[in-house]
Amino acid sequence: MILEVLSIGLIVTACLALFLDEAVYSIAALAGTFLCTALIYVLSGAIFVAIFQFAVGVGTLAILFLSGEMLSDKQTKKTSPRMTGGLIGAGVVLSLPGIFLSISGTSASTADVSFGDALWNLRGVDVILQGLVILMVALGIAIVLHERRNGGK
Amino acid sequence: MDFVIVSIVMLVIGIYGLLTKRHLLKVFISVELIATGATLNFVTLASAIGKGLGEAFLILAFSTDTAVSAVILALLVVVSKKYGTSDISEIVSKQDDGEGEVEV
Repeated sequence: MILEVLSIGLIVTACLALFLDEAVYSIAALAGTFLCTALIYVLSGAIFVAIFQFAVGVGTLAILFLSGEMLSDKQTKKTSPRMTGGLIGAGVVLSLPGIFLSISGTSASTADVSFGDALWNLRGVDVILQGLVILMVALGIAIVLHERRNGGK
Repeated sequence: MDFVIVSIVMLVIGIYGLLTKRHLLKVFISVELIATGATLNFVTLASAIGKGLGEAFLILAFSTDTAVSAVILALLVVVSKKYGTSDISEIVSKQDDGEGEVEV
Protein backbone atom coordinates (compact mmCIF):
# COMPACT_ATOMS: atom_id res chain seq x y z
CA MET A 1 0.00 0.00 0.00
CA ILE A 2 2.80 2.41 0.88
CA LEU A 3 4.63 1.66 -2.33
CA GLU A 4 1.54 2.38 -4.36
CA VAL A 5 1.02 5.71 -2.61
CA LEU A 6 4.67 6.60 -3.13
CA SER A 7 4.59 5.71 -6.79
CA ILE A 8 1.46 7.83 -7.26
CA GLY A 9 3.15 10.67 -5.44
CA LEU A 10 6.23 10.23 -7.61
CA ILE A 11 4.29 10.56 -10.82
CA VAL A 12 2.11 13.41 -9.57
CA THR A 13 5.06 15.45 -8.36
CA ALA A 14 6.92 14.77 -11.60
CA CYS A 15 3.98 16.13 -13.56
CA LEU A 16 3.75 19.13 -11.26
CA ALA A 17 7.48 19.80 -11.62
CA LEU A 18 7.11 19.87 -15.35
CA PHE A 19 3.84 21.73 -15.72
CA LEU A 20 3.79 24.36 -13.01
CA ASP A 21 4.49 27.80 -14.43
CA GLU A 22 6.26 29.30 -11.45
CA ALA A 23 9.88 28.17 -11.36
CA VAL A 24 10.14 27.99 -7.59
CA TYR A 25 6.99 25.89 -7.24
CA SER A 26 8.24 23.65 -9.99
CA ILE A 27 11.50 23.08 -8.14
CA ALA A 28 9.56 22.39 -4.94
CA ALA A 29 7.60 19.73 -6.78
CA LEU A 30 10.89 18.29 -8.00
CA ALA A 31 11.94 18.09 -4.36
CA GLY A 32 8.85 15.97 -3.75
CA THR A 33 9.89 13.75 -6.63
CA PHE A 34 13.31 13.22 -5.11
CA LEU A 35 11.79 12.54 -1.71
CA CYS A 36 9.37 9.95 -3.06
CA THR A 37 12.21 8.32 -4.99
CA ALA A 38 14.37 8.11 -1.87
CA LEU A 39 11.50 6.57 0.12
CA ILE A 40 10.91 4.00 -2.61
CA TYR A 41 14.60 3.12 -2.46
CA VAL A 42 14.36 2.67 1.30
CA LEU A 43 11.37 0.38 0.97
CA SER A 44 13.15 -1.57 -1.77
CA GLY A 45 16.00 -2.31 0.61
CA ALA A 46 18.60 -0.05 -1.00
CA ILE A 47 19.47 2.10 1.98
CA PHE A 48 22.76 3.46 0.67
CA VAL A 49 21.24 4.42 -2.63
CA ALA A 50 18.47 6.22 -0.78
CA ILE A 51 21.02 8.16 1.22
CA PHE A 52 22.86 9.09 -1.95
CA GLN A 53 19.64 10.09 -3.66
CA PHE A 54 18.77 12.28 -0.71
CA ALA A 55 22.21 13.93 -0.60
CA VAL A 56 22.38 14.51 -4.34
CA GLY A 57 18.79 15.72 -4.35
CA VAL A 58 19.43 18.27 -1.64
CA GLY A 59 22.51 19.61 -3.44
CA THR A 60 20.82 19.72 -6.79
CA LEU A 61 17.77 21.44 -5.41
CA ALA A 62 19.78 24.09 -3.60
CA ILE A 63 21.58 24.98 -6.80
CA LEU A 64 18.35 24.77 -8.77
CA PHE A 65 16.71 27.26 -6.47
CA LEU A 66 19.61 29.62 -7.07
CA SER A 67 19.45 29.15 -10.81
CA GLY A 68 15.68 29.45 -10.84
CA GLU A 69 15.84 32.73 -9.03
CA MET A 70 18.51 33.95 -11.44
CA LEU A 71 16.68 32.89 -14.56
CA SER A 72 13.17 33.97 -13.69
CA ASP A 73 14.10 37.66 -13.24
CA LYS A 74 11.44 38.34 -10.64
CA GLN A 75 11.11 41.32 -8.38
CA THR A 76 12.68 40.67 -5.00
CA LYS A 77 10.21 40.71 -2.13
CA LYS A 78 11.03 41.22 1.50
CA THR A 79 10.14 38.49 3.92
CA SER A 80 7.78 39.72 6.60
CA PRO A 81 8.57 39.10 10.30
CA ARG A 82 5.43 37.00 10.59
CA MET A 83 6.66 34.78 7.80
CA THR A 84 10.05 34.48 9.45
CA GLY A 85 8.41 33.53 12.75
CA GLY A 86 6.27 30.96 10.99
CA LEU A 87 9.32 29.45 9.38
CA ILE A 88 11.13 29.25 12.71
CA GLY A 89 8.07 27.64 14.32
CA ALA A 90 7.80 25.15 11.49
CA GLY A 91 11.47 24.28 11.94
CA VAL A 92 10.94 23.70 15.64
CA VAL A 93 7.90 21.52 15.03
CA LEU A 94 9.74 19.51 12.41
CA SER A 95 12.65 18.96 14.76
CA LEU A 96 10.43 17.50 17.50
CA PRO A 97 10.18 13.99 15.99
CA GLY A 98 13.96 13.85 15.76
CA ILE A 99 14.18 14.69 19.45
CA PHE A 100 11.46 12.49 20.88
CA LEU A 101 11.35 9.57 18.45
CA SER A 102 14.01 7.05 17.54
CA ILE A 103 14.35 4.39 14.88
CA SER A 104 15.11 1.01 16.37
CA GLY A 105 18.19 -0.87 15.20
CA THR A 106 20.09 1.98 13.60
CA SER A 107 22.55 2.51 16.41
CA ALA A 108 23.32 -1.20 16.78
CA SER A 109 24.23 -1.59 13.12
CA THR A 110 26.81 1.19 13.15
CA ALA A 111 28.33 0.60 16.56
CA ASP A 112 31.22 -1.71 15.62
CA VAL A 113 32.17 -0.38 12.20
CA SER A 114 35.80 0.59 11.81
CA PHE A 115 36.99 3.41 9.62
CA GLY A 116 38.40 1.06 7.00
CA ASP A 117 35.12 -0.81 6.77
CA ALA A 118 33.19 2.42 6.51
CA LEU A 119 35.56 3.68 3.83
CA TRP A 120 35.71 0.62 1.62
CA ASN A 121 32.96 -1.82 2.49
CA LEU A 122 30.30 0.79 3.26
CA ARG A 123 31.39 2.98 0.30
CA GLY A 124 32.60 5.91 2.31
CA VAL A 125 34.95 6.85 -0.53
CA ASP A 126 31.93 7.33 -2.75
CA VAL A 127 30.37 9.63 -0.19
CA ILE A 128 33.54 11.73 -0.10
CA LEU A 129 33.78 11.89 -3.88
CA GLN A 130 30.11 12.82 -4.11
CA GLY A 131 30.67 15.60 -1.62
CA LEU A 132 33.56 16.85 -3.74
CA VAL A 133 31.37 16.88 -6.83
CA ILE A 134 28.67 18.86 -5.03
CA LEU A 135 31.32 21.24 -3.70
CA MET A 136 32.60 21.81 -7.24
CA VAL A 137 29.07 22.54 -8.41
CA ALA A 138 28.56 25.03 -5.60
CA LEU A 139 31.89 26.70 -6.40
CA GLY A 140 30.97 26.95 -10.07
CA ILE A 141 27.65 28.56 -9.28
CA ALA A 142 29.35 30.95 -6.85
CA ILE A 143 31.83 31.97 -9.56
CA VAL A 144 29.03 32.54 -12.05
CA LEU A 145 27.12 34.63 -9.51
CA HIS A 146 30.26 36.63 -8.78
CA GLU A 147 30.76 37.27 -12.50
CA ARG A 148 27.15 38.32 -12.80
CA ARG A 149 27.48 40.71 -9.88
CA ASN A 150 30.52 42.28 -11.52
CA GLY A 151 28.49 43.03 -14.63
CA GLY A 152 29.76 40.21 -16.82
CA LYS A 153 33.13 41.80 -17.46
CA MET B 1 3.95 -3.32 -7.62
CA ASP B 2 5.91 -3.14 -10.83
CA PHE B 3 8.30 -0.24 -10.68
CA VAL B 4 9.51 -0.84 -14.20
CA ILE B 5 6.23 0.60 -15.41
CA VAL B 6 6.61 3.56 -13.07
CA SER B 7 10.11 4.21 -14.40
CA ILE B 8 8.82 3.99 -17.96
CA VAL B 9 6.14 6.55 -17.10
CA MET B 10 8.81 8.81 -15.64
CA LEU B 11 10.86 8.40 -18.81
CA VAL B 12 7.86 9.29 -20.96
CA ILE B 13 7.11 12.38 -18.87
CA GLY B 14 10.72 13.51 -19.16
CA ILE B 15 10.87 12.97 -22.91
CA TYR B 16 7.57 14.82 -23.32
CA GLY B 17 9.01 17.73 -21.36
CA LEU B 18 12.16 17.71 -23.47
CA LEU B 19 10.11 17.86 -26.64
CA THR B 20 7.49 20.40 -25.65
CA LYS B 21 8.90 22.76 -23.03
CA ARG B 22 10.75 25.85 -24.16
CA HIS B 23 12.09 27.13 -20.84
CA LEU B 24 15.66 26.11 -20.09
CA LEU B 25 14.87 25.25 -16.48
CA LYS B 26 12.03 22.96 -17.56
CA VAL B 27 14.37 21.23 -19.97
CA PHE B 28 16.76 20.64 -17.10
CA ILE B 29 13.93 19.29 -14.94
CA SER B 30 13.02 16.95 -17.79
CA VAL B 31 16.57 15.63 -17.87
CA GLU B 32 16.41 15.09 -14.11
CA LEU B 33 13.13 13.18 -14.47
CA ILE B 34 14.65 10.94 -17.12
CA ALA B 35 17.64 10.25 -14.88
CA THR B 36 15.31 9.53 -11.95
CA GLY B 37 13.34 7.06 -14.02
CA ALA B 38 16.50 5.30 -15.14
CA THR B 39 17.88 5.01 -11.61
CA LEU B 40 14.52 3.81 -10.30
CA ASN B 41 14.57 1.05 -12.87
CA PHE B 42 18.12 0.17 -11.91
CA VAL B 43 17.35 0.02 -8.19
CA THR B 44 14.27 -2.09 -8.71
CA LEU B 45 16.08 -4.66 -10.80
CA ALA B 46 19.14 -4.67 -8.53
CA SER B 47 17.04 -5.22 -5.42
CA ALA B 48 15.11 -7.96 -7.20
CA ILE B 49 18.36 -9.79 -7.90
CA GLY B 50 19.48 -9.19 -4.33
CA LYS B 51 23.10 -8.28 -4.93
CA GLY B 52 24.90 -5.14 -3.87
CA LEU B 53 26.75 -4.72 -7.14
CA GLY B 54 23.78 -2.97 -8.69
CA GLU B 55 23.73 -0.45 -5.89
CA ALA B 56 27.47 0.15 -6.32
CA PHE B 57 26.98 0.85 -10.00
CA LEU B 58 24.05 3.06 -9.17
CA ILE B 59 26.16 5.20 -6.87
CA LEU B 60 28.55 5.70 -9.77
CA ALA B 61 25.54 6.64 -11.90
CA PHE B 62 24.55 9.22 -9.28
CA SER B 63 28.00 10.77 -9.45
CA THR B 64 27.79 10.98 -13.22
CA ASP B 65 24.30 12.41 -13.02
CA THR B 66 25.47 15.11 -10.63
CA ALA B 67 28.35 16.04 -12.91
CA VAL B 68 26.00 16.19 -15.88
CA SER B 69 23.61 18.37 -13.89
CA ALA B 70 26.46 20.72 -13.00
CA VAL B 71 27.49 21.09 -16.63
CA ILE B 72 23.89 21.61 -17.78
CA LEU B 73 23.27 24.22 -15.10
CA ALA B 74 26.47 26.08 -15.95
CA LEU B 75 25.56 26.10 -19.65
CA LEU B 76 22.03 27.19 -18.78
CA VAL B 77 23.20 30.15 -16.74
CA VAL B 78 25.80 31.18 -19.34
CA VAL B 79 23.32 30.98 -22.22
CA SER B 80 20.62 32.89 -20.38
CA LYS B 81 23.17 35.53 -19.40
CA LYS B 82 24.46 35.81 -22.95
CA TYR B 83 21.10 36.11 -24.69
CA GLY B 84 19.08 37.70 -21.90
CA THR B 85 16.29 35.15 -22.01
CA SER B 86 15.54 31.60 -20.95
CA ASP B 87 13.22 30.77 -23.83
CA ILE B 88 14.77 28.42 -26.36
CA SER B 89 12.75 29.86 -29.25
CA GLU B 90 13.92 33.37 -28.49
CA ILE B 91 17.50 32.16 -28.17
CA VAL B 92 17.30 30.46 -31.56
CA SER B 93 15.78 33.56 -33.16
CA LYS B 94 18.49 35.72 -31.64
CA GLN B 95 21.09 33.31 -32.96
CA ASP B 96 19.55 33.60 -36.41
CA ASP B 97 19.68 37.37 -36.13
CA GLY B 98 23.35 37.16 -35.23
CA GLU B 99 23.07 38.43 -31.69
CA GLY B 100 25.35 37.14 -29.00
CA GLU B 101 28.03 35.88 -31.32
CA VAL B 102 31.50 35.73 -29.91
CA GLU B 103 34.02 37.89 -31.74
CA VAL B 104 37.29 36.13 -32.49
